[in-house]
This record gives sequence, C-alpha cells and structure tokens, in this order.
Amino acid sequence: MTAAGRAARALGVSAAVLALLGPLLLPGEYPATLGISIATFAVLATGLNLVYGYTGLLSFAQVAFFGIGAYTSALLVVQRGWSLWVAFVAGGIVAALLGLVVAHASLRLSRHAFSIVSLSLALLCLIVARDWVSLTRGPMGLPGLPAPRLLVPGLGAVAVDRPGVFYGVVLAFAVVALAATHRLVHSRVGRALVAIKLNEALAQSHGVDPLRYRLLAIGVSALLTGMAGGLFVFHLTIVDPSIFDFYYTETMLIMVITGGPGSFWGVVGAAVVISALPDLLRFSTDLRMVLYGIVLIAAVLAFPGGVGGWIARRRLLRWRRALS
Amino acid sequence: MTADPLLAVRGLTKTYYGLTAVDDLTFAVAAGTIVGLIGPNGSGKSTTIDCISGFQRPDVGRWFLRGTELTGRPAHAHARAGVARTFQTVRAYETLTLLDNLRLAVQEHDGVTWWQSLARSVSWRDAEAEATARAHELLGVVGLTNYAGAPAEILSYGQRKLLTIAASMMARPALVVLDEPVAGVNPTMIRRVEEVIRRVNAEGVTLLIVEHNVDFIMRLCGHVIVLDAGKKLAEGEPAEVRGDPRVLAAYLGRGRASREAARRD
Repeated sequence: MTAAGRAARALGVSAAVLALLGPLLLPGEYPATLGISIATFAVLATGLNLVYGYTGLLSFAQVAFFGIGAYTSALLVVQRGWSLWVAFVAGGIVAALLGLVVAHASLRLSRHAFSIVSLSLALLCLIVARDWVSLTRGPMGLPGLPAPRLLVPGLGAVAVDRPGVFYGVVLAFAVVALAATHRLVHSRVGRALVAIKLNEALAQSHGVDPLRYRLLAIGVSALLTGMAGGLFVFHLTIVDPSIFDFYYTETMLIMVITGGPGSFWGVVGAAVVISALPDLLRFSTDLRMVLYGIVLIAAVLAFPGGVGGWIARRRLLRWRRALS
Repeated sequence: MTADPLLAVRGLTKTYYGLTAVDDLTFAVAAGTIVGLIGPNGSGKSTTIDCISGFQRPDVGRWFLRGTELTGRPAHAHARAGVARTFQTVRAYETLTLLDNLRLAVQEHDGVTWWQSLARSVSWRDAEAEATARAHELLGVVGLTNYAGAPAEILSYGQRKLLTIAASMMARPALVVLDEPVAGVNPTMIRRVEEVIRRVNAEGVTLLIVEHNVDFIMRLCGHVIVLDAGKKLAEGEPAEVRGDPRVLAAYLGRGRASREAARRD
C-alpha cells in the first residue's frame, strides 16, 4: 500500500473509531441515536459504493432495498411473531432476491437501462407501500414496533429498548457488514469488478463474465442494505412509506461522491462526517442547511474525484516524478 | 495446411444495414504459425476478428478452435476457450497497476472459485503467486519491469500496446489475435513488438495478426491472408502474396498496379 493509501486508511479508521467510541463515552441518549444513524449510513454508503464505486453501476434502487428490508422485517415481526434477529436477515434476503431479478432483467440491455430501472423500482416501492393498505397500512405505516430481546449469557433475555444498547447491536452489524465488503472488494473478485467498470470489453477479452460479477455486487449490496433497513426501523419503532424517501438516495450519493467512488475508507469516512455534519451545525438553527450545502460545495470543489480520487491523483503524480 | 487446423472459420458473413463487411469468408490457422490478415481499409479485417472472438455476431458462419465449435458463444467464453485478443484502440485498466492489469488477464483461467479467493485458500495463494511470477516475466519480455507497481495510465501509447500484448499472453492461450499491434508505434518499439511475438510463438503460441504495416507482416508471418471487400483475395506465403497482381490492385488501385507490374518486368 502506498503512503497516500495508508493516510486515507488512517483517516477513515480514526474517524470510524471516534464514531464508535463517542456514543459509549458521552452521556445521554442523543449520542447513541446519532451513532445509530452514522453506523446505518456507513453500511448504506458502502453498499452503494460496492455497486457504483467498484462496479460502475449507478443504482437508485438502494433506498428500495433499504425500505424493502425494513417492511419485510417489520411485517415478519408484527404479523408472524418472528424474532427480529431472524426477520432482519430475511429482509436482507428479500431485498437481494428482488435486486437480482431486476438487475438480471435490465443488465441484459445496458448499464444505463439498469440505472433507469433502479430509479423506477425505488418509485414503485414508494407507491406500493403507500397504496397496498391491506398489507402496509398505507401512509399510517406500522407503528409501535416492539423492542427486540437479546439473549445475553448470564443475564437472560435483555430488552434492547434503550438507544445505547441498540447502538451496540447496529454497530456490531455494521462492523460485520463493512468487514465482509472490505474482504470482497480487496479480493480478486473486487479486482474483476473494478476491471468491468474501467473497461468492460477488455475484461470480457480476459474471460470475465460481466453479468455474473455485476449480479454478485448487486446481490451483496442489496442484502446488506436490506438488513440495515430491517434493523434501523426497530430503532425508529415505526416503518411508513417515508422509508423510501429520496432523502436517503441523495445522502448515499453525496457520501459516495465526496468520499470517492471505489475508495473503501474514503466513503466510510465521508459517511461518518456527513451523517454527523447536520448535527454539528446545529449551533445555527436557521443557517444549518445552508452551511451544510456550503460544506458540500466546498468538498466537491476541493476534491472533484472525492477523497479517494484525490489520493489516486497524488499516487499518479508521485509515479510521474519517480520515473521522469 | 494440416487436416485439423487450430482455428477453422467457415462461410463467415456479416452485413451492416445492407453493406456486406465480410462475405462468405473461409480460412484456417494452423497450430504454431503466425498468420497475417491484411487488406485495405474497410476490407473486413476488424469485423472478422470481432466475430471470431465473440465481440460481434455474424449473420452466417461457423468457427472452431481445435475442433470445438465456438459459434455464437459470448466473448468471455471465447477467452476461456483459449482465444485471446487485443484491440485496435489500446485498452488497459487505467487506474490499476501493471501487475494487476496482467493478473486480471489470467484469473478467470486458473479455476480458483470466488469462495476460494474470498477465503484466501491455498489454491488461491498458489494461483496468485504463479500469476505474479508470470506477470513479472512478461513485463521483463516487453521491457516494462520498472513500471510493475505503477498505474497503467502512466504509460505512453507504445508502452500501452506492449502491455496489452503482454496481457494477451498471460493465460497461455491457444490463439492470440492481435489487432494492429504496431499502428502508430515508433520503429524501436516495432522491433520490440516483433521480438515479443517471435518469442511467444517459439513457446508454442499461435498468432493471427491484423496489421496495415505490410513490411512488419511480411517479416513475421509464414502465411498471409489478403481481404478485399469482405472476400478472400489471396492467400499464401508472403512472397507469393506480395507479387499477386490482384493484391497490388486492391492496395494501389488498378492503374498504378499495372505500372508497378510493368516496372517489375
């Protein structure tokens, strides 16, 4: 790994560690709530990074996977009495299956077709959640989702009803999800994903089957995103059609673009900073969102290729100097 | 030509909106040879190799590698069956290192599964080590050893051509199809490309080369196929093909060809 790569990793790791420890060290419920949001967005942004940053497919369907995971897990718990620990995995699996079907159909045409279909899927999910009243209760949503119970050796069943405890659960999931994605993108499978993004025809001429790899990336991304949704709504204690809000899509995109598509730690770092940013700017209630916008514009001006792109650029310049 | 050639192409035809690019083309490439495919612009050379490497679907025609039919199979299946190719427009994985560029060219050929590579199994480790050794060896052959860890975008045009040629040899394919390997390349680099081709051919790799540089083709190839307007115009040893009046006519135009022929006599 290069010095700049190590610097990016150090930056990402320290931001992550700060975010991990903050809610545990600070008193009150607010830091834990913010921590849950940060951990969830770290998974969501990494999921989009896997599909867009590494594989080169612009997906607007991430919010659909998130919401489908959320609704599936909420319905299984409320109507079928499943344990959340099984239901949120089922939510991820349902999201992954839907993602694979939609991707398989649209990728036969082109990656642009995939983007359009993914956008349609997100909009369709919103409509279904709002109008299929007999299943989803429409705009009223499913309120009062029960706190899950966790079997702790020595303590018996503990209700995960406080944000501090719930944060611990979400954090554990996020660490596992990020570790799995990290292993994937840094394997030769990840190398093939990048190859497909950089030059599809060349990859084919090397024996890489683009469809198979793209489906893998979308499946894994939808699985993790769906699972994140399944957990997240049990923190909110309600799931309603706003889970499909464009806000989530927009936030994930901002995180991936400012972090640098295809940069693992860059995107994780951006997810942490951008999740926390609106809250850090709370000192000025009126100008909060204006300042948020200014910070984003500044970030894009300073790092046109995201933090990861800036690092790659420096690496190239160093090679040029070394070889000239 | 032997009874069972490495590559056999039969009746290949491809039309674009009524324009016939390749017209009932039949040819064969014998194992261990270097075959040149030449012809004026628009004679159907690129369409031919795009078809037999799976990048375009012809209207009619069948092709076989070592007797196995590849007709209609996708591009990646052609690569796995043993047909490697380069592109006329130089293609490289720009932001990846040269080593990764080369390792990518072989990773679908060594039989290591996704699970094995994710679990970092012994077979994965052995395969990566072997690919890395082969990559270093080929970088040495094309003279790019110093750049092994650099991203491909740092290379010049000629160096990129060498990289793509090296990549096409990574998986020890049965047949390598080179699309204009020396177009726009300076004379020093051309000699280096020539050396590389001779060297891999000596290792037993068969090559089919599309090129406009006729001298280059005549020096390297034991067998030359000339296309004109999608049809095979002539075929044979470089010397016979060179003197063929039909070939001269296709390249130079009829009037100049007859003057050339008169001058030779």
